[in-house]
Amino acid sequence: MMTRADCVVVALALALLPYLYFTYWGSSTQGEEVRIMVGGKEQMAISLRQDRRLTIAGALGVNIIDIHDGKARFTTSPCRGKQCIYTGWLGRGGESAACLPNRVSMVVVGREQRFDSVVF
Amino acid sequence: MGKFGVIMLALLLSACAKREEPLHQQQLLTFGTLVEISIWGADKSLAQQASSQVGEDLQQMHNDWHAWHDSPLVRMNQALSAGAPVTVPASILPLVQKSITLSRASEGMFNPAVGRLIKLWGFEQDDLPSGPPPDPAAIAALTKQHPGMDDLILDGSQLRSTNPAVQLDFGAIAKGYGVDLAIARLRELGIQNAIINAGGNLRAIGKHGERPWRIGIRNPRGEGVLASIETRGDESILTSGDYERFFEYQGKRYHHIIDPRSGYPATGVISVTVIADDAATADAASTALFVAGPQRWHEIAKKLGITQVMLIDDKGRMVVTPAMAKRIRFEADPPPKVTVAPL
Repeated sequence: MMTRADCVVVALALALLPYLYFTYWGSSTQGEEVRIMVGGKEQMAISLRQDRRLTIAGALGVNIIDIHDGKARFTTSPCRGKQCIYTGWLGRGGESAACLPNRVSMVVVGREQRFDSVVF
Repeated sequence: MGKFGVIMLALLLSACAKREEPLHQQQLLTFGTLVEISIWGADKSLAQQASSQVGEDLQQMHNDWHAWHDSPLVRMNQALSAGAPVTVPASILPLVQKSITLSRASEGMFNPAVGRLIKLWGFEQDDLPSGPPPDPAAIAALTKQHPGMDDLILDGSQLRSTNPAVQLDFGAIAKGYGVDLAIARLRELGIQNAIINAGGNLRAIGKHGERPWRIGIRNPRGEGVLASIETRGDESILTSGDYERFFEYQGKRYHHIIDPRSGYPATGVISVTVIADDAATADAASTALFVAGPQRWHEIAKKLGITQVMLIDDKGRMVVTPAMAKRIRFEADPPPKVTVAPL
């Protein structure tokens, strides 16, 4: 026979399910945050959940990194080749991009990495 | 339900909590590229120590094998163009030996003797050229001298060239070979499960705990990941693509994989992915198959002993070998149309 307390616990557990699904399973391979490094040293780790524009000073000048809709990308760069910009949006855990001349790099980190590493 | 039910529920819910993985991941800017090191299951301090050791090793290799800054390779190239015999430094000798073998097996499609051509295009530097492309007469003047690895005579560590146009540039093999040495270093330090990815030149050993390492292959046109491969034990997965290093001039794309025969960026292919036992072979082979193009890549792959290949041609058509078809999983939904072509 279920007591009132049992009912409360079961109701709470059921109410928690959608949260647990999305947090721990549903989007597990999507990136959670982007780690930005300058000269190979971690400068910051920023959540991908909030849209924002970051200005990162590197060896040559300034990189602008945009975060939008759970993804991050290099938007402007002081380098000649613009390879970092061509890499485009990064959204899944394990994806990374770098502006080598400016010595700025970033990697997307998810709770569960869809890929342990990406070749390009 | 009673107390037992409540306890079961609590246990179930607590199983959702995040567990710390014994995974050490580090990014380094060294070796002229972004190097990612992943180590599974090692003690934290050992993993950190091993990563920084690998970082130091790779930087040293970069200094030794640089084709343009003042380096042992530059001094060697000066002697070669003067026709003088030169003692190959110990750090460069294995690269020369491996390059001669792979260049021969690929019928010169992989040809590190065209350093002058690479320099003429400006692809030897860290930062990319912005154009214009070189003068056609200057390209023709270099290609008609046919510098090749067969022009080299290697006797022990003594090297000389019978063709003054030979200038060695190991851009299409050095990163792969460096990754091989880095993996050897990790093993020496007692690490059994790791990935080293130096600017897309990847070799993996062991596993990620109970599962294999999962490697993504970047989409050569557009963003994100095209396909993935789960590694088996010790192997290298490597792609050569026209999107890695290039410049655009007056609306035309000029990429870094120069066909030694024409002196211009190789045409007909946008990317080649290979799986091989070691990264040096995978690096040189992916370049060779790219240069060989849609008509001849099968033949060159056979000569190089490479059985796992995915090639995307300039029309976007994907071809995989049967051995690669068994390994690759396309990430796009719906999956792209792929042709399986026997070697």
